[in-house]
Amino acid sequence: MIRRLRALWNNVFRRKLLDRDLDEELQAYLELVSAEKMREGVSPEEAYRAARRDTGGVEQVIQSVRDVRVGVCLDRLLQDVRYGVRTLAKNPAFTLVAMATLALGIGANTAMFSLLDQVVLRLLPVRDPEQIVIVRETGNHYGNTFGPNTISWPMFEDLRDNNQAFSGMFCRFPATVTIGYGDRAAQISAELVSGSYFPILGVGTALGRTIAPDDNAVPDSRPVVVLSHSFWRSYFDGDRTVVGRTIDLNSHAMTVIGVAQPGFDGVEMGVPAKVFVPIMMKTEMTPHSDGLKDQRRRLSWVTAYGRLKPGVSLEQAQLSLQPLMHSILEMEVQQPEFTRSATPADREPFLRNRVELLPGSENELREDMRKPLWLLVGLTGAVLLLACANLANLLLARATAREREFAVRLAIGASRARIIRQLLTESLLLSGAGAAVGLALAFLTDRILLRIYLPADAAAEFVVSPIPDGRVLAFVVGAMLLTSLVFGLLPAVRGSRTEITVALKDRSGAASATGISLRRMLVGVQVALSLLLLVGAGLFVRTLRNLDSLGPGFPTDHLLTFRIDPSLNGYSDEQTKSFYERLNVNLQTMPGVTSVGFSAMPLLKGYAWQNAVLGKDFEGAPIEEQPILSEVGPGYFATLGIPILAGRAFTTQDAGPSKYAVVNESFARQYFPGRNPIGQRFGLVDDMEPVSPDIEVIGLIPDRKYRDLRETPPAQAYFPYLQGVHFRFMNIYLRTQADPRHFENELRERMRQFDPHVPLDELQTMNEQIGFSLRTERLVAGLSAVFGGLATLLAVIGLYGVTAYTVMRRTREIGIRMALGAIRSNVIGMVMREVLILIGAGLAAGFSLALVLANLVRSQLFGLNPRDPLTFVASAIVLAVAAGFAGFIPALRASYVDPTTALRNE
Amino acid sequence: MPTTQSDLLQGTLDLLILKALTLQELHGMGVSRRIAQITGGTFDVKAGSLFPALHRMEQAGWLTSSWGESETNRRAKFYALTKAGKKQLHTESERWGRISLAMATALRTT
Repeated sequence: MIRRLRALWNNVFRRKLLDRDLDEELQAYLELVSAEKMREGVSPEEAYRAARRDTGGVEQVIQSVRDVRVGVCLDRLLQDVRYGVRTLAKNPAFTLVAMATLALGIGANTAMFSLLDQVVLRLLPVRDPEQIVIVRETGNHYGNTFGPNTISWPMFEDLRDNNQAFSGMFCRFPATVTIGYGDRAAQISAELVSGSYFPILGVGTALGRTIAPDDNAVPDSRPVVVLSHSFWRSYFDGDRTVVGRTIDLNSHAMTVIGVAQPGFDGVEMGVPAKVFVPIMMKTEMTPHSDGLKDQRRRLSWVTAYGRLKPGVSLEQAQLSLQPLMHSILEMEVQQPEFTRSATPADREPFLRNRVELLPGSENELREDMRKPLWLLVGLTGAVLLLACANLANLLLARATAREREFAVRLAIGASRARIIRQLLTESLLLSGAGAAVGLALAFLTDRILLRIYLPADAAAEFVVSPIPDGRVLAFVVGAMLLTSLVFGLLPAVRGSRTEITVALKDRSGAASATGISLRRMLVGVQVALSLLLLVGAGLFVRTLRNLDSLGPGFPTDHLLTFRIDPSLNGYSDEQTKSFYERLNVNLQTMPGVTSVGFSAMPLLKGYAWQNAVLGKDFEGAPIEEQPILSEVGPGYFATLGIPILAGRAFTTQDAGPSKYAVVNESFARQYFPGRNPIGQRFGLVDDMEPVSPDIEVIGLIPDRKYRDLRETPPAQAYFPYLQGVHFRFMNIYLRTQADPRHFENELRERMRQFDPHVPLDELQTMNEQIGFSLRTERLVAGLSAVFGGLATLLAVIGLYGVTAYTVMRRTREIGIRMALGAIRSNVIGMVMREVLILIGAGLAAGFSLALVLANLVRSQLFGLNPRDPLTFVASAIVLAVAAGFAGFIPALRASYVDPTTALRNE
Repeated sequence: MPTTQSDLLQGTLDLLILKALTLQELHGMGVSRRIAQITGGTFDVKAGSLFPALHRMEQAGWLTSSWGESETNRRAKFYALTKAGKKQLHTESERWGRISLAMATALRTT
């Protein structure tokens, strides 16, 4: 064996040495032949020439020897592979289970880790991505904000111009814009970027040029746009003449100056930007919202990024920025904008705000998915362990079963090496096939998971590498390979030392006594891991059910929703208002639609409009959580099925100049404690001008969830949308008589006739929207249930195998016992005692493990304790019953042993 | 009647090499000369077929090789039979005996 391996090694890797040897051998041959000729009396030169002639060319000889060597190795390999395939095919049950185990272990782990890597871990596709950081301000900002990682434009300029920590800073703002006009109008995601964006990221172009600092010097001056590479391919069919052409964004003519380098879709991974526009074009891209030209400091909207100077760590940079931040805050706190937005009690906490630096690839999607994905990676890790245990068990069982075969083959003259080499080939074949299936599985799974996870257009552009991360693949395949080699070969090595006569005579295979205790231990490990996975599955499935059954507090069936924004077509406030009034009437006449509700802010989408409120009763207290606000149409509450508890809902008459509001119970409790909220007044804090409490509460509604299903309903206040001054996007809810999905096509057609220029966005049923918002919970619950089920199945198969084997080995003993008067129930009891001890030990280990690990998943659960007794006990019972049943079958069979047959057999 | 390699029956060369090595270990040229000697000069095995056969048989485990010194005091590779090689020689000789008997009988028949 060793000699052959070395020969193979020499052939493949040490050709030079081999060739040198061969050369020397042939030289010796030549010399001997010429010496012979010389003895016959030929001159030395003539003799040498004759010898060479006789040899027929040294090079040719070397080449044919080489061919022979490689050919022999290949032949033998092919022979082994053929034999291996035949043996594996002869035992399809074993091969299938082993391959499925391998595929599960490899597939689940690579798929999960690839997803984690691509969604959470991967760095930005830019130059030196580890140097890019997000610059954010901690604490309450006292004003309006577009998200947790944003700061105001003037603050960005202050930081950019005065910091010592970065080699450069840039900022960006994501916006939705309408591209094109008429039938080809579509809403796409745009990234408004500062002039330093492309140079500091180190991102170039495939065509044309990027946005330069010059393009961002003066507001509204440069209507230029850079396309993302994937958008250029999909929307413009990769037309190379696109540079220099004009396209319509929000009905503004913009000149295409370039196409960004392939693979770069902006700095928010998972939310790909299609076009890049200078931030100085903000007024054109986001009508009615400024923050740039007016230099407002109480409106935070840009995400600021810095590139760390080489050798400067994130912590050092963060520390060095604090004095600068503090001086900015000292200045801001003196401004009237701050005084109008906060009370004197708020000054102290505000001055304690700090700069925080985050890795540049951070975003909300990552924040949300980090925990669940790590959790799933943990689960698949348990699956990998379990798969290894199962594989080891299978291979041990197989090797034991083949002990006689090996003994026979040794007896008729096979060498030990030969048997081991063949087992090695079989293990490799099995692992190779399992890995191939697993990889295919991983690739498919990743595609599906990403589709579940991301909005459709993002998933399409999210490149899933067909080759998963090399390190994980190497690790997982290595682990499985090691398992199959160790457990496939160890018994074989031991088996091949077996005393041939003993193995041939003794049907029960006395040589494998140590094998059985190892197998029992492996089954115990499987039971423990299965319990862990089952408990996890129980917790996550019940969390999902809790979220599903509780719902948002209003009926979600028969509810259809979509979003439009006519202001992106350049419609004025007046035009947009008229558009909405006419649309409201139009939709109400649609057959099958019972009512129509408009809301400026979307429900259950994870975000909301929040603003501090003021009133004479709560002046002077620090502003903590701001209530959630929205502007809604008259039919809104009726459409969503939210009752009016007191007062009235809005009507079409509530269009100003008097200001009205409908509030929920939490709002009333928080701001008008102990009083009838109807008739009370409050105001909305505005940093731009002093306000008075001039909004009158006219109605009260019960508490309902607003942002997501996990929240405790927050304080909410609603205003009539017709009372507003500016009109932008609107979310429209339709209550239908029948299945809302049947109305989708008709609605599209109706909207096209109503105004072909305004595109419909995010048309879906409320249940679909809620389903999408629960995708993480569904994914975790679904996968953990599948893993738990498979784990239990594998553990049960393992337990059955071990018990059946034990019974077979003890047939003679059982026969003697029965001959001496043992009855069937004694035999069953004897076998089952061992089975139950095994299950008990596994369950105990699994229980302790689950109790320790439960706290890690606390934040992923809803409506139940991580050590929920019901889940724990139910999982244990399910597992114990399934495993007990698997052990009972061989026990029952043992009780049917006929003593005379059993004894005669041996 | 010198015979070239193409005229050798498949397996004949292997059998001759095995036979040539029964008495003592030999280097390549020694094997060639020994074959010529035992076949009365009928077979003159050239290097082009001798060396590939030697290496193939070594890989098959019938021969082992070691470096030694030739008559001309030069380092040369010597080949010897292994146990498996002896077994192979035995079975092959029997087979060859049967074939040659059968051939002789067949050719005598008129």
